[in-house]
Amino acid sequence: MDRDFRAILLATILCAAAVVLQSTLLHWVALRGVKPDLALIILVYVAVRRGSMTGQLTGFASGIIQDLLSLSPVGFHALTRTLIGFLYGRMEGNIFLDPILMPLLLTIIATILKGLVASFAVVLFAVAAPGFQVFAGPLWIEVGYNAFLAPFLFALLSLVKPLRPRDKERI
Amino acid sequence: MTRVPGFVRKHRTGVTFTLLLVMCVLLILFSNRNVVLKPKQVGQSFGSVFQIAVHSVAGWFAGTWNSIGELKKLQQDLEEARSRLAEYERVSRDVGDLRRENQALREQLGFARTLPVRYVAGEVIARDPGSQFSTIMVNRGRTHGIRKGMPVVAFQDGLQGLVGKVQMVSLLSSAVQPISDPNSFVAARLRSSRYDGLVAGSQLPSGNLIMTYVRKLALSDIAYGELVVSSGMGQLYPEGIHIGRVREMTAKGYEASLELEVEPIVDFSRLEYVFILDMGE
Repeated sequence: MDRDFRAILLATILCAAAVVLQSTLLHWVALRGVKPDLALIILVYVAVRRGSMTGQLTGFASGIIQDLLSLSPVGFHALTRTLIGFLYGRMEGNIFLDPILMPLLLTIIATILKGLVASFAVVLFAVAAPGFQVFAGPLWIEVGYNAFLAPFLFALLSLVKPLRPRDKERI
Repeated sequence: MTRVPGFVRKHRTGVTFTLLLVMCVLLILFSNRNVVLKPKQVGQSFGSVFQIAVHSVAGWFAGTWNSIGELKKLQQDLEEARSRLAEYERVSRDVGDLRRENQALREQLGFARTLPVRYVAGEVIARDPGSQFSTIMVNRGRTHGIRKGMPVVAFQDGLQGLVGKVQMVSLLSSAVQPISDPNSFVAARLRSSRYDGLVAGSQLPSGNLIMTYVRKLALSDIAYGELVVSSGMGQLYPEGIHIGRVREMTAKGYEASLELEVEPIVDFSRLEYVFILDMGE
């Protein structure tokens, strides 16, 4: 099986598992109804490590899965995640991924970007999203939550061989 | 002729990105107008299997853990229960008398009629994976006789409250759209002052609902804390189900009607069990 395809498949499965967790168990650790977006952190890691193609396809697939388990219109989460996957994939090989600072920074920016793209989609397609408030409290809680979890999740994901950077495969 | 495949091969990532974006936009456009429903239902059926599995496994572990602690308490509870039993037997006799008296009064007042509404009890198995939508997933689906549009109620703190309606049905689960969703509208009535209005979900941080189309003349008659119930108009929701209590009243000078802020009876974050009402076809 092609290595890129294997990475996309594995990352999508991980994102899907994260989405299921978010909709079930993570409800108990929600702060004011806001849960951490584990699928987004996984997507950020995969995109930065494996490039735009893997990032955008993983983002699209995981976004569609989230759309299917939500009352959101199909394509809503897929749009934000495809964009994030593509943009973060452009950084492949250009940044040094330290254990704490970069995961934190990348995840904070990704969460804010997700909020911005979602707000754009909400306005453009007149999507009725009850919990949606641009730059309001929930977004910052999610930013903090995701940033806190990112270094741990990045460290765990670095152990997964098929998600390692492509240049290391060549070696 | 070879230029186009050459361009696609050279800009593979960019072309894929554009195609994916176009696909996302088309999907949003179609599904936002309820055209694409079947693939979503199929996906929901598939996904809900995992949600049910995780919920069940977590429930099993939580149950096992709790039962160990409960075993210790069981012994002392048993002794306590025995002494209470004697007292309850006496209370039970009193309750029997009261029930008979109550029944007689109900018949006299003509309030004995009960709604012949069949219901399906369900458990909340999952919620929306994100924070922007308010999906509530229930472990009852098409195989249990659930249909789109069925009203959903729950009992909390001794009151029956309106939860919402079934928005999507798959084989084993259903997605419930709560009344707090901005797309949800319920024909409502103020229980004491009897004024009609329309309750809709809002995007208020408090999670309160907004009741509109209430006559401005009603301002002096409405009390803070007054109960708002479903009026039964529109025949989607049965009459008399509690929706919430009035918390704020706004009378804008340029509008002919009042705007009331209603605190829902049901605390959606604590929702565990629901009843899906079958109002007939």
